Amino acid sequence: MGTIHLFRKPQRSFFGKLLQEFRLVAADRRSWKILLFGAVNVLCTGFLLMWCSSTNSIALTAYTYLTIFDLFSLITCLISYWVMMRKPSPAYSFGFERLEVLAVFASTVLAQLGALFILKESAERFLDQPEIHTGRLLVGTFVALSFNLFTMLSIRNKPFAYVSEAASTSWLQEHVADLSRSVCGIIPGLSSIFLPRMNPFVLIDLAGAFALCITYMLIEINNYFAVDTASAIAIALMTFGTMYPMSVYSGKVLLQTTPPHVIGQLDKLIREVSTLDGVLEVRNEHFWTLGFGSLAGSVHVRIRRDANEQMVLAHVTNRLYTLVSTLTVQIFKDDWIRPALLSGPVASNALNFSDHHIIPMPLLKNVDDRIPVTSTPAKPSSPPPEFSFNTPGKNVSPVILLNTQTRPYGLGLSRGHTPYSSVLGQGLAVPGVGAGQGLRPTFPHVPSRYGNNRTGQPRP
Amino acid sequence: MEEKYGGDARAGPGGGLGPVDVPSARLTKYIVLLCLTKCLKAVGLFESYDLLKAVHIVQFIFILKLGTAFFMVLFQKPFSSGKTITKHQWIKIFKHAVAGCIISLLWFFGLTLCGPLRTLLLFEHSDIVVISLLSVLFTSSGGGPAKTRGAAFFIIAVICLLLFDNDDLMAKMAEHPEGHHDSALTHMLYTAIAFLGVADHKGGVLLLALALCCKVGFHTASRKLSVDVGGPKRLQALSQLVSVFLLCPWVIVLSVTTQSKVESWFSLIVPFTTVIFFVMILDFYMDSICSVKMEVSKCARYGSFPIFISALLFGNFWTHPITDQLRAVNRAAHQEGTEHVLSGGVVVSAVFFILSANILSSPSKRGQKGTLIGYSPEGTPLYHFMGDAFQHSSQSIPRFIKESLKQILEESDSRQIFYFLCLNLLFTFVELFYGVLTNSLGLISDGFHMLFDCSALVMGLFAALMSRWKATRIFSYGYGRIEILSGFINGLFLIVIAFFVFMESVARLIDPPELDTNMLTPVSIGGLIVNLIGICAFSHAHSHGHGTSQGHCHSSDHGHSHHTHGHGDHGHSHGFTGGGMNANMRDTLGSIGVIVSTVLIEQFGWFIADPLCSLFIAVLIFLSVIPLIKDACQVLLLRLPPEYEKELHIALEKIQKIEGLISYRDPHFWRHSANIIAGTIHIQVTSDVLEQRIVQQVTGILKDAGVNNLTIQVEKEAYFQHMSGLSTGFHDVLAMTKQMESMKYCKDGTYIM
Repeated sequence: MGTIHLFRKPQRSFFGKLLQEFRLVAADRRSWKILLFGAVNVLCTGFLLMWCSSTNSIALTAYTYLTIFDLFSLITCLISYWVMMRKPSPAYSFGFERLEVLAVFASTVLAQLGALFILKESAERFLDQPEIHTGRLLVGTFVALSFNLFTMLSIRNKPFAYVSEAASTSWLQEHVADLSRSVCGIIPGLSSIFLPRMNPFVLIDLAGAFALCITYMLIEINNYFAVDTASAIAIALMTFGTMYPMSVYSGKVLLQTTPPHVIGQLDKLIREVSTLDGVLEVRNEHFWTLGFGSLAGSVHVRIRRDANEQMVLAHVTNRLYTLVSTLTVQIFKDDWIRPALLSGPVASNALNFSDHHIIPMPLLKNVDDRIPVTSTPAKPSSPPPEFSFNTPGKNVSPVILLNTQTRPYGLGLSRGHTPYSSVLGQGLAVPGVGAGQGLRPTFPHVPSRYGNNRTGQPRP
Repeated sequence: MEEKYGGDARAGPGGGLGPVDVPSARLTKYIVLLCLTKCLKAVGLFESYDLLKAVHIVQFIFILKLGTAFFMVLFQKPFSSGKTITKHQWIKIFKHAVAGCIISLLWFFGLTLCGPLRTLLLFEHSDIVVISLLSVLFTSSGGGPAKTRGAAFFIIAVICLLLFDNDDLMAKMAEHPEGHHDSALTHMLYTAIAFLGVADHKGGVLLLALALCCKVGFHTASRKLSVDVGGPKRLQALSQLVSVFLLCPWVIVLSVTTQSKVESWFSLIVPFTTVIFFVMILDFYMDSICSVKMEVSKCARYGSFPIFISALLFGNFWTHPITDQLRAVNRAAHQEGTEHVLSGGVVVSAVFFILSANILSSPSKRGQKGTLIGYSPEGTPLYHFMGDAFQHSSQSIPRFIKESLKQILEESDSRQIFYFLCLNLLFTFVELFYGVLTNSLGLISDGFHMLFDCSALVMGLFAALMSRWKATRIFSYGYGRIEILSGFINGLFLIVIAFFVFMESVARLIDPPELDTNMLTPVSIGGLIVNLIGICAFSHAHSHGHGTSQGHCHSSDHGHSHHTHGHGDHGHSHGFTGGGMNANMRDTLGSIGVIVSTVLIEQFGWFIADPLCSLFIAVLIFLSVIPLIKDACQVLLLRLPPEYEKELHIALEKIQKIEGLISYRDPHFWRHSANIIAGTIHIQVTSDVLEQRIVQQVTGILKDAGVNNLTIQVEKEAYFQHMSGLSTGFHDVLAMTKQMESMKYCKDGTYIM
């Protein structure tokens, strides 16, 4: 089983590369320790497997699989060192952080498959219980236990430590926490060890060893060979219980899902974004974790036709950047082509600058129905320009109240240039230049306004 | 349960911080009395076991009921006091009596089967324990890990009684030395137990477990009636009376037709009175008093401990001369000293029973399920209860199955997989059934192998089902990626199988076992047929299949576990690799390999052919899985999809040539699922172009290249200025300025600054 990881990249040409990468990793002093442990692990596993076949005990086999899982976790640790050294390549543009996640996922799934195999074997053994020799049973148990604990406690396994912290509690941990809560009521000093939850790997190692000791005792005393099968099932179930939350967690990362614990923060940020000046709606938001921890995401923001795209983009990026490190924001406008097709007079009218032109359009409802994944309610969008131009009186209409809070009115009007400048594009060169330069004076305002952005947005 | 809630309600409003309890000093005498009664009940049951050896069970129950009814009518005076009972209520009381008779029949029959000790351990659980056990087992919100643990202990205890309790006498009893039973009823029960194929004492354990459930249901159902009639005591008195009348004709018929084993009924008066008092009357009154004075949970906890302990003690010492004082009958029966003695299994299960009764009867802490969300203005903690809300929304299992089946059958490829799975399962069960019938261990274990392998198929099917679910907040791209993940898991599964087959065959190569091949040929031919059908199904599916189709196939060419472990396998292929057919071909090759090895063994006696064949198959599986895993890994690692690599390069070159575009950065393209290629790209343009036009152009180019979920960020120089103004971190500013400078250098000539 130890060779599976090595063969993951199967082509012959890869072996040379693999060797090269291995040399890269081996250059690090820390990985020497891991390699040493790995070698000892292989030796230990070999002995254990030998004892398994000599004792004919399936419980010991189930426990040996935990040792093999340890080997996988060591390999994962090596991979995480390798990942730290590698830069993103053109093919793997996000870098190799996810390899770590994949390794964790693969090793937990393999452990569970091993447990499934044990379950199958023990179902067969219930029909025809073979005799168990207890000779090396206890020796094997303690060798495996001490080695597992030694590995777990002496090697800082970053990916597994992270997953075991972040994943939800396994049933084994839950029960131990529940028990130890009552124990700690009697002896408060123990709470630092047992509460809030124990390391799942240490826990399963101890629990498995305990089950094996009971097996040994009962077989020695009464020749209850069925206990061996029963404790094998118990160990397999515990393995399932321990590995399942971790594989769910890493599997969800691999599935590019939004981690549930950041949804609250994300919602808050998106609400903030949707109240930015000019933003009508946020849709198609995809946020997912790249490796363990770092968030990536993309989002589409629909803005008013007269809003400054770069300004909105900067603000949106700035808001989301605190949480999402790899971010892509697409700004889009409805009907953006139309004002460009209109000619000069419109441009001069545009200087009049009417903010509000809010008449709900059935056309946009369709757009919203088509894409259901939006967190923010779509704001009523921009109508055809006929309503917006030359009708300053419309500002008083009650629908406007929806947006007024974000709009310091005088500021926008006092500024000389128009937000349309960007829309109008090449046709109007002078305001276009103005857009770039006109922004300069506003910068000093920005930090102070940034603090209380809900009440006053800086307008270009 | 009602009393319990009542008790909680009383305790709740009075207490500020914890439940207010009656001072324990006042309860002590009740607890002592309760313990005493329970011990006496144990004595009574041991006594009644001795009695049952002499007296027929129906007669025994009749006498018991008669005595109880006599005393209860005497004490309660159900006819002279209380309101009159309507005809409707009489009918209900009649039903109550019938049910009561049946349960006590089961109970005492169980007693004859597995002895007083085991009966006490199994049957003397209070209702609250059983109810919380059932709620843990059959509802999702059992009440936290503690209750789950209690339920697990209970089940372990029952299993200990069933499996690890090697009671010598019981084995002897199982042979039915007398060959004939006292009455038609007991004979019927015996045949029922014999039909189940378990030994008598195990049958007794099962019977008692059943009777326990019946008892709890009976108590719950009769609660309303007892309120209507005017108290449980009155109901009990009336019901006992009715059951006496019920049993009367039967007992008369019995005593006329069969000759009694009892020499003198007179000598049995004393034991019968003790049994009536200890088992029926005293226990009943003590329970009803305690349930009024104490909480039900406390009552159950204090009641279970003494009864189990005393049962253990009596079980050990009952045949001992010390207890001769207690024994009223059969003083001469010392020769049967080994009867239903203690065994290790019983002790262990008693310990587990005590633990589980203790845990299950403890009141569930509701507060632990909520999560603390804060404090109210007064300073009291506020909790948020999630569990109940979730529980109501969960749909029932049959409905879920029905809907998933409907969804599976809707689309052709999942339908094919489903039919194939059904075929496989059918084959498996035929194999298992035939194996059980002919008692062939090889066939049975091969059936388990198949079941093990089918699990991969089930997972693939489930993934295919899930991949059609609608996108949610968490799965924002939709569930399509699950198919890829399940492909990866399937690949790992195959590797594990290949590994085990490999190990096994190496072990056999070293030491080839003798094996008989007469069952092997039909099985492998059956497997081949299943596979060929699979090929037909899948070639059909693939010809219609589009990018999303997913081939699962599974060959069932396992030999016996004593023969070739030719697992074929379930290839899983992504539609876009089109490997479904290859996988099926491989399976078929595996089947053929098994048949060839069978022929070789049969004809020439080359037993070495079998492990060689397994070795070959294992290597075959392994080699064919590797590309599968590699593909899945690449997708999971968000690699640039290899089949689109060229087009994307061309597209990016094209993008570079767009008018007004300075450069692009961070181009990420990856395959999300079978039909989603996602991409994000940042594009820098000069300040005089229209962003939306650029977006349109770039989208067009990339859509042509195959990317269908696209996000384009168009940045102008103004953006970086804004960002550097807004930026919070130093490093970000640095990065931004670098970007700006690069922009300046890049298109110096046309730059309008």
